[in-house]
Amino acid sequence: MSVFKHEYRAYTGPVTSLPSRIGVLARYALAEAWSSKITWALFVASILPVVVFLVTIYLANNPIARALILRGNSGGPEINASFFLKLLTSQCWLALVLTAWVAPRLVSFDLADNALPILLSHPISRFGYVLGKFIALFSSLSIVTWIPALLLFAYEGYTSPLPWVGANLRVAFGLLAGSVLWIALLSILGLALSSWVKWRMVATGCIFAAVFVPAGVGGVVSAILRTKWGLLLNVPVMMSQLWARIMGVPDSIHIGRELPNTAIASVLALVCFICIFILNARIRAREVVRG
Amino acid sequence: MIELDGLEVRLGGRTVLDGLTGELRGNAIGLLGPNGAGKSTLINTLLGFHEPVRGAARVFGLDTRRDRARIRQGIGYMPENDSFIGNMNGVRFVRFMAELAGLPGSEALERAHEALFYVGLGEVRYRKISTYSLGMKQLIKLAQALAHGPRLLILDEPTNGLDPMARQRMIQTIQEIRKEGSIRLLISSHLLRDIDETCDEVLILKQGRIAALRNIEEERRSNRNFIEMETVGSTAGFCERLRGLGCECASFPDGRVKLVMPDSIEVRDVYVLASENNIEIRRIHRRRDSLEDIFLRAMESEPARGELVRI
Repeated sequence: MSVFKHEYRAYTGPVTSLPSRIGVLARYALAEAWSSKITWALFVASILPVVVFLVTIYLANNPIARALILRGNSGGPEINASFFLKLLTSQCWLALVLTAWVAPRLVSFDLADNALPILLSHPISRFGYVLGKFIALFSSLSIVTWIPALLLFAYEGYTSPLPWVGANLRVAFGLLAGSVLWIALLSILGLALSSWVKWRMVATGCIFAAVFVPAGVGGVVSAILRTKWGLLLNVPVMMSQLWARIMGVPDSIHIGRELPNTAIASVLALVCFICIFILNARIRAREVVRG
Repeated sequence: MIELDGLEVRLGGRTVLDGLTGELRGNAIGLLGPNGAGKSTLINTLLGFHEPVRGAARVFGLDTRRDRARIRQGIGYMPENDSFIGNMNGVRFVRFMAELAGLPGSEALERAHEALFYVGLGEVRYRKISTYSLGMKQLIKLAQALAHGPRLLILDEPTNGLDPMARQRMIQTIQEIRKEGSIRLLISSHLLRDIDETCDEVLILKQGRIAALRNIEEERRSNRNFIEMETVGSTAGFCERLRGLGCECASFPDGRVKLVMPDSIEVRDVYVLASENNIEIRRIHRRRDSLEDIFLRAMESEPARGELVRI
């Protein structure tokens, strides 16, 4: 083809590798996600707690600044595993809000305009399509969870007068593992629910509902049956127990209602399995009507 | 280009393609058939969207089950229904599709602009696709199918929902692509006219089976020599003279004469003979509706299962 001659011209140049096409999908999905001003507003809102934690670390390690700002109140905050657990918890819940907005943007546009037949007619598999979108969502959530958390950890290690990093490596591991586990779960849940519901706003509501409605049901079950097992439907409680254990912080809130790790892992695996089932059913080039 | 070997596809518990066997080698192949005959299912199977339960389909010699990615690399697909990302502008959408097909970013951008100009969307290429008219949406699907320079272009109902002007533009574009010669075409339609104007071969499906596979050009060539006339005057001597020129001729009492001319005879020769025999030709008719005949014959016959069909 030529713009001026308006004639067809076959392409004879090099082609990219098959795995790199997943990167193309992820790149376009990221661009789509971040083209919205609301995404940027949510990102800024998600970074605000990080700034507060950063200032806290600065004050904790700088006696002069503490004396000036806290005006004689010498008892500054202690920077330990509990401090980073609070950071992890706040960032992970803000990540849920970001997921509820971003995930439907990644999938719903494709579904609303029936773009899947064209997208999947290219050399990209259904798995590749989902993986590309997953990478885009996972990356977007990473910049509000484990990346700032580890940067704060590194900053504390840098500013602390004591040999702090070596003694708190478990905290760094906990921040990374806890965040990655949570945002991976959010990514797959967000994509599955967005592929299930075509309308973006409904999909956003579904993502919140998928986390909080079972939690309410679990609370009712626990109260009526006087059992702790209803908490298995309560993702916030389950995750907070898991994060505390990974970071080595004693859980003082849920004493007597601790859930075994295997039960938590089983529930998370079940959620992932259901999400994969939904994605497998919905991400198709063609719908087959039975009967 | 496309080989079908006892291809059987079942969808939703129903056999949609029932033992298709054949080889399609033409440059522009039309896929005809009534609704539900299996045209779109055949295309989807060639693209690897549906898996055959029995038999196999091969495109460029590659199996549709095992070599999906390599087959899709060489195919440009324009689906029947709306299929685009309405939130993107034309250039971005076509570039995205070209990059998915394996073109590096800069090449994809260049080809996206070219493809959009080629199909006639150059002026609206920066508009969001959701604001395009139905005809433009059809053209953007064609542009994305062309952008990566495929070896085989699959068009599923390309004139679906187009007004006469837009249809003519689409047909012209397809004819240009066919004339250029570097891309082979597989065009599915239920409109005989579309296939007649764009294809040189036709595969007719009926109830998931091959009802006919014909070379339209050859049919046209043979029909070009078939003439039907209405005459006034004694036709016996006229017919005798025509036979003498090598024509097959049949005359009827009401003055109708049917003849098949050899390639060496022109219509002008018939007029000369008529004049010499004092015959007035009131009406002369050359058969043109070859594809319709092929289609109607195919619909009347019982399609064979698993029989090898080849041109």
